[in-house]
Amino acid sequence: MQQTLEDFFKVVRSAGVNISVADSIETSKTVELVGYGDRGILRDALALSLAKTTEEKEKLYECFEQFFAFDAFQKTSLLKPQPGPTDKTEQQAGQPPAGEQQAVEQEQAPAEYKGDLELAKMLLRNDKAELAQTMKKAARKANITDIWLFTQKGINTQKIMNEMGLRELNKEITSLGKGDCPAERALSGQLRTGQKYLFQEVRNFVEQQLSMFGKTASQTIHEEFLKSSRLSNIEKRDFEVMVKIVQKMAKRLSSMHSKKRKRKDRGQLDFRKTLRSNVAFDGVMFNIFWKSKVIEKPRILALCDISPSVSSYSRFLLLFLYSLSDVLDRIDTCVFTNSLIQVNDIFDQYPVQQAVEKITNDFGMGGSDYGNTLLDLKNDYMDKIDNKTTVIILGDARNNNLAPQTEVMKLLYQRAKRVIWLTPEMESFWGTGDSEMLKYKAYCNIVKECNTITHLEQMVDTILKVSAQTA
Amino acid sequence: MKDLYENTFQSVEDIQQQFEEHNYICNSQIATCAYIAYNLQKPIMVEGPAGVGKTELAKTTAEILGVPLVRLQCYEGLDESKALYEWKYGKQLLYTQLLKDKLSEVLDGATGLRESMAKLESHDDLFFSEGFLEPRPLYRALQEEHGCVLLIDEIDKSDQQFEAFLLEILAEFQVSIPELGTLGAKIKPLVFLTSNNTREMSDALKRRCLHLHIDFPDEKLERRILNSRVPNLSENLRHEVVSFVQQIRELDIKKVPSISETIDWAKTLLLLHTEHLESDVVKETLNVILKFEEDIEAVSGQISSFIKKAHKE
Repeated sequence: MQQTLEDFFKVVRSAGVNISVADSIETSKTVELVGYGDRGILRDALALSLAKTTEEKEKLYECFEQFFAFDAFQKTSLLKPQPGPTDKTEQQAGQPPAGEQQAVEQEQAPAEYKGDLELAKMLLRNDKAELAQTMKKAARKANITDIWLFTQKGINTQKIMNEMGLRELNKEITSLGKGDCPAERALSGQLRTGQKYLFQEVRNFVEQQLSMFGKTASQTIHEEFLKSSRLSNIEKRDFEVMVKIVQKMAKRLSSMHSKKRKRKDRGQLDFRKTLRSNVAFDGVMFNIFWKSKVIEKPRILALCDISPSVSSYSRFLLLFLYSLSDVLDRIDTCVFTNSLIQVNDIFDQYPVQQAVEKITNDFGMGGSDYGNTLLDLKNDYMDKIDNKTTVIILGDARNNNLAPQTEVMKLLYQRAKRVIWLTPEMESFWGTGDSEMLKYKAYCNIVKECNTITHLEQMVDTILKVSAQTA
Repeated sequence: MKDLYENTFQSVEDIQQQFEEHNYICNSQIATCAYIAYNLQKPIMVEGPAGVGKTELAKTTAEILGVPLVRLQCYEGLDESKALYEWKYGKQLLYTQLLKDKLSEVLDGATGLRESMAKLESHDDLFFSEGFLEPRPLYRALQEEHGCVLLIDEIDKSDQQFEAFLLEILAEFQVSIPELGTLGAKIKPLVFLTSNNTREMSDALKRRCLHLHIDFPDEKLERRILNSRVPNLSENLRHEVVSFVQQIRELDIKKVPSISETIDWAKTLLLLHTEHLESDVVKETLNVILKFEEDIEAVSGQISSFIKKAHKE
């Protein structure tokens, strides 16, 4: 039974519930305690010790119903069970050859099977329980639990059927069909029908197993692919998946960085706090308090180029930043093509995804003019930038051969805590053609190539880390 | 007095029955959970909305097992000194003042600092002994002679630091006190942690517990609960009350009434000698089940239709 339990863990894992080794040991103990006697209790016991949230519980119940369902070979076979030797009637000669029409075949009394192939006997007896049992055993031998892609369906079906004795069955069918005796030919036809039935059932079983064991595998592959592909190449139909990936990443980052609020400065006594706390003890210092520094959440000003060439990158950066609201103090967002537009109010009004969509649709026209944008920044926003602001600029710095206004960048660099430039272009392209990247680079703390979602994650992680260290 | 683990929970049905005898009507999932926790000595993390009987579960278990219930109410800022132990600083101070005169006797003519120190050290570390220790709930739970049920209530209100501190206790049932050494449990307590889900608990803590989610009961179960808690209520009224409350739960309101509120309401109606739900009585007593003005307003408009439906059922 341990093997069954382990298979069940596998199913639950593939449904997205994390089960550690310790969990599985504990659960085995639990199952040992409650036993397999009562289905309801077993189900509850598994849910209690494996699932850690209500959602996980629901997933687990679903898996349980699927895994412990016994519906193999429940469909009626096309075969009628072969009568036992006692009530066997005399066969009639002169019937049409077997294997032509099932109806005719069934009417004709086939010969009694005299071979010793178990599978053939089971099929002729129409022994569903035995067939199911044999199939499960064969499936285990064929390592069906390792199935995780739909392309493996055929091979697995074949493996299981071979394990059950398909080859021998085929031989039997051929040898019986070859003979002259019509009753034997009828038997051969009957076995062939049985074989088809067997194939259907095994195929169904494999499909079920695939849906249990391979559920997340194909999703994971797809997600991994999306994570490493260039953001500009991601198609619209994948946006939903991308949003989920971004949210997952953001959740991880925020749980990593949200814990650190204060850093103890051991060695520096906080006199006021210590005295206040020890007044009750006559000033004898029982409780000692050290000074601590509050780690400030980073304040971010994001400037995103939303001209057609870069807009898909901006979309995901914004999605990322706004999913991180727990760990960021404030996000101000401006977008630009040739002039700067503040879009905070759009983010206030709409949910993040919708807001991003609206912004790219409403403002994303025309070629970029970094120089003019920087001048706008200088005139309208420079007073909002102080030594606590991290400025993130996302763009390819392709200025269409207009004036780059690097002096504004210099000013920005002097005022802000950090200036980070993210560009979708590879380093070897910086400064080629109309790119002003090399000029701007001088006034940035970090310039990074950033064109996949994984790059974005690394970047945001760095921003959060650095802000915690320099507090 | 019997020890905690001498009273055996034989089977899931047995537990369900014993709970019922103590007026706690539970479904098989709760009983299974208690059965596993008791036999494998694992803590239970109980989650669910307020008022569904999370705390009551621990209380009833303690009652059935005949052991004391030690309760630790969590809140923001709860730390070791409030949960585990604290030194009685005042007493220590008082004793040092009182015993100042005895110091010369103790030192007994020792000359020089080194000799005095040696003399002092030859005495036991009396000021850091159990006499000066103020035991708090966790310490008490570990020290209980016959074991106990330990209820750590509303764990989600505590800080992350405290949660981490709990890990040692939940896994090993022991705590380290620097001055006294490591202290193990005499008999492992049966631990219940309750949470209202105001924040996500850490995976490490969840991993050590059985996870039990108690939701609002269905109509049938709620009627049984009401029957055991307010036995004097007529059957008709019981049906009506439960149906009415169930209908409210389907509305989108700020706080849906829980079981404890249903019970309170039933008691109120009993006190007012009500035989059937009528809109006047309901209107006047609606504040027993609903705790927000907006909720009362939202429900007020639908009282008559709710009552109609309740009467039909």
